[in-house]
Amino acid sequence: MDRSLFRLTASGASGLSFAALCFVFLPMLAGSYWLSIFTSAAIFAMAISGVAFMYARLGMVSLTQVGLMGLGGWVTLRLNHLWDLPFEVNMVLAALATMICGWVLALPALRMRGLYLALVTLMAAGGLEILFATYQFPNGGTGFWGVKIGSTAPFRRPALAQSPEAYLRYCIAIATLGFLFIEAHRRLFPGRAWALIRRSEAAAMAAGVNVTLYKTWAFGIAGAIAGAAGALLAGSLGLLDDGTFRSSESIMLFALAVVGGARFWLGAVIAAVLFRVLPGLLNTWGVDTDLAFVIFGAGLLHALITAPNGIAGQVHDLVAKVRGKRHD
Amino acid sequence: MKLRNGLAGAFALGLGMIAGAAFAAPSCGANTGQAATGAPIIVGGIFSNGAPGDWSSSTDAAAAYFACVNANGGIGGRPIEYHVEDDQWNPEAAAAAAAKLVNDQKAVAMVGNGSFTEMAVNAQTYVDQGIMAMASACAISECFETPNLVSTNQGPLASNLGAAQYAQEELGSKNVACIGLNIPNNGIWSCQAVIDYMTSKGGTGSMAMLNPGAPDVNSALLEAVASGADTILMNLPAGLALAVLKAAQEQDLRDAYTWIAPTPLYDLSVPDAVGEYWHGKIWVNAELAPINQGGPDGQNWLAVLDAFGKADDPRDTFSQAGYLSAQFFVKALLEMDPAGLDDRAAVTAAIKGIKGYTSDLMCGPYYVGDAAFHQPNHAGQMVKVVAGGFEVVRPCYEYDSAYFDRHKEVEKALGLN
Amino acid sequence: MTRGAMVNWLVYAALMAGIWLWLAGGMPFKVTGMFLASGLAIGSLYALGGIGMVVLYRASGVLNFSAGAAGAAGAMTAWQLGQWGVWPPLAWAGCIGVALALTLTYGRYLAPLLAWRETVVKAVATLGFALIILGLVSFIWIDDPRSLELPTDQIGIVLFGLRVTATRLLAFAAAIGIVVGIWAFLGRTEIGLQMRAVANARDLSALLGIPIRRVETIAWGISGLLAGFTGLMFANLIRLEPVVITFMVIPSIAAALAGRLNSLALVLVGGLSMGVIESLLTLSPTLKGVRPIAPFVIAALVLLWSQRGTKLTFGGRD
Repeated sequence: MDRSLFRLTASGASGLSFAALCFVFLPMLAGSYWLSIFTSAAIFAMAISGVAFMYARLGMVSLTQVGLMGLGGWVTLRLNHLWDLPFEVNMVLAALATMICGWVLALPALRMRGLYLALVTLMAAGGLEILFATYQFPNGGTGFWGVKIGSTAPFRRPALAQSPEAYLRYCIAIATLGFLFIEAHRRLFPGRAWALIRRSEAAAMAAGVNVTLYKTWAFGIAGAIAGAAGALLAGSLGLLDDGTFRSSESIMLFALAVVGGARFWLGAVIAAVLFRVLPGLLNTWGVDTDLAFVIFGAGLLHALITAPNGIAGQVHDLVAKVRGKRHD
Repeated sequence: MKLRNGLAGAFALGLGMIAGAAFAAPSCGANTGQAATGAPIIVGGIFSNGAPGDWSSSTDAAAAYFACVNANGGIGGRPIEYHVEDDQWNPEAAAAAAAKLVNDQKAVAMVGNGSFTEMAVNAQTYVDQGIMAMASACAISECFETPNLVSTNQGPLASNLGAAQYAQEELGSKNVACIGLNIPNNGIWSCQAVIDYMTSKGGTGSMAMLNPGAPDVNSALLEAVASGADTILMNLPAGLALAVLKAAQEQDLRDAYTWIAPTPLYDLSVPDAVGEYWHGKIWVNAELAPINQGGPDGQNWLAVLDAFGKADDPRDTFSQAGYLSAQFFVKALLEMDPAGLDDRAAVTAAIKGIKGYTSDLMCGPYYVGDAAFHQPNHAGQMVKVVAGGFEVVRPCYEYDSAYFDRHKEVEKALGLN
Repeated sequence: MTRGAMVNWLVYAALMAGIWLWLAGGMPFKVTGMFLASGLAIGSLYALGGIGMVVLYRASGVLNFSAGAAGAAGAMTAWQLGQWGVWPPLAWAGCIGVALALTLTYGRYLAPLLAWRETVVKAVATLGFALIILGLVSFIWIDDPRSLELPTDQIGIVLFGLRVTATRLLAFAAAIGIVVGIWAFLGRTEIGLQMRAVANARDLSALLGIPIRRVETIAWGISGLLAGFTGLMFANLIRLEPVVITFMVIPSIAAALAGRLNSLALVLVGGLSMGVIESLLTLSPTLKGVRPIAPFVIAALVLLWSQRGTKLTFGGRD
């Protein structure tokens, strides 16, 4: 099997064309309300790709992804109000800072497996939630925390994306880069190590793979992706609120990544659509948005019990079946 | 009781309409008694309903008033179509709500907004889109310090100052502990003003901050107790303030402190909710008139809610503020050139031109003007919680703080005082 | 009791005492005692939640995220029955009954479908159930300030010059009583023996003919009863708000981790010390804002400490 970096698979081709279609048409078709919802969906799709990748490739459950997004958002806001750097620089710095935090979290936690690892990340999410609620997000004040009393200082959006339409395109482009970043890792040597670890840690160790290193690596990638997503979220509103980064949201994000199907790019998109677009739709139809929880919960049980690859997996099987018939 | 039950709700609404019609006919807008049938005028409103509290009473009251206007001739025969969105205390949802109302549905103005989140996210949108928001239950600094937002309520800063001033002058308070929400432009902003005020009067103050998502109210109360205060100011939405009072009652702290609160606790359901233990022991600042004061607007507000609102819409200060914002807005529309009713710029100009509107619900005149900050309402009344209601202990008084100096200058320039 | 367990007990007690001396040493007991009472009440709730988790986890390998949601559904039911004028004890029974019914439904019909999957998948699945309950509860009872009164709120007992309500004492006594009760149940009844056998070696127990389904159902039942009781206490002592009660499972898990998902006595002491430390941190000017972080920090430290010897080696169970 050809594992070269630039080989285009069928799934990859459809993913890239989907992203291109969204990039071109979504901002043209959507009204102002849907623009803001699609922007947030694109940002969360990127964050979900991080958790989904850890779960699908290494079987690691991270319940702190939204908390890490908050960290990225915090760093972005802090830098925005501190210096006059362009948004892109702030975003990269935020991604790096979050990656390092991901490592710090991961190193001691990686002795654990399965449930215990999930619980350590849950404790981290609970702690981050309280830190955000206590220290709040920088709004242009002085000092380390950068919080001032009263109204928020302005935020500099990327020069390329000043209007809401352009910002949606910008987020879709960055999210696509995020997916490609993960895919590139999967195709290079870390991917081979991960595949071995996923099959059996014992075998991986016997083959001389440094399990701790590669697990930490994965945590760092998911952290960097979350950090960049947090930066984009900060850019979309110009401010952040701790309510967005509760530990319950991290749990929800993981649950939806499973519902969507953690192994496929489509899964992350479906999860983001469920997370942000479905409540928007319910709201437009005048249905109580609380019912979205019921749908999420039922979807999660369904996915875990009968469809281990989630909705995207079912779509995938369907496509394979149709193709198979055609070949007959 | 708020069990969701469509039938019961409709039944209660029907009862309310009959009861309302029986003893007071509401008076709204042109008051023609004819239903408006022309092309609708689109108006938006955003409220918050989420974990820390329900902030929808102002949009409920505005909706009731607009319904009443539409049944009484509308604006020159054109009805007002009022679109309301919930921001769920979530900034993303708040931005989406404003985008929908302002850009997609082309509202000419926002009326009755009540939120902790929406104004911070959308203040700049309102400026960019040239739309005025006549808010009614505004709880953060952006409501009073940005060009295109004007609020009928006073917000926590002014109402806290009013309560602290009364406690300092009449109840002998020297050290006030302010329990607020840990939100920089809400709790910290408004509690700091109280500390500054107490310091300026030779006393001291402190703040105990509650995380909006954290469930434990008792620890914030204990923090206030540990600060050595003689007075506890509950700068919180009503639900949380009631939780503080319950925790204080359990530990029998009533007589060790003076208990004061800004306007959210001024709700007709509060005297029963706190129970006999607290009667005569809690002083609340009311930003608008007492609920049963009986003036023409005071009666009309209740009549409008009875006839056009829902039976379980709260009858509190924010409901009064929503009613007033809607009434002032309608008055401005009726006075402007009808040709400009669909032109957002013309409506904005008409709102900015509001000057010297009065109501028996407000202590001072209402105005908007063209300033970078707005706070028309900075005088209130002090009431005490007693069995079955509230007793006025100090009628309309101006708050004594340097914060309002610049507003008084604007008023002088407008010829209002 | 082994020496190791003894040491763990002492660590929690020493931690509590140290923080007490550091922050409350110089203050009159009249003030600090209130913090202690408040902390013990909250700690009892953490411990009660944690005990339910551990009993179920040991018997069935399921870490039940839906305990909080079941408690929330129960508490809202009790409130609703109270509004309808139902005789209060019946309303409280309603609370516990609803939580029990929900938990048993899951344990009986859904959990077996996942019986042989990894523990983490079983745990995540209960989250799905929690979301369904939470969505329905929030749909039925729209957000509104509510409170749940118990007659014990009116009864105050003065201890060392400090007024403590009977509700707080009840929560505290229940936490201790339940640990003792479950300990006796596990140690002295046949079902308890079977439960311990299943906890130790599930496959072997099945081979020996222990009725695993029955043992598990009883564990789910105990967990449901505890979820209902904890929900009722939480609604009364902290806040009657479905979302808040649902996500109360997170600090409950922290308490369960304090006992390493294994020892009930350690869950009790760990949970209580988390509550007390959280409450005492209010006295520290720098840490008072972040005090709710205490359970998570303690739980994370316990986890890291208890895993200190492990190396990533060859497989085995989670």
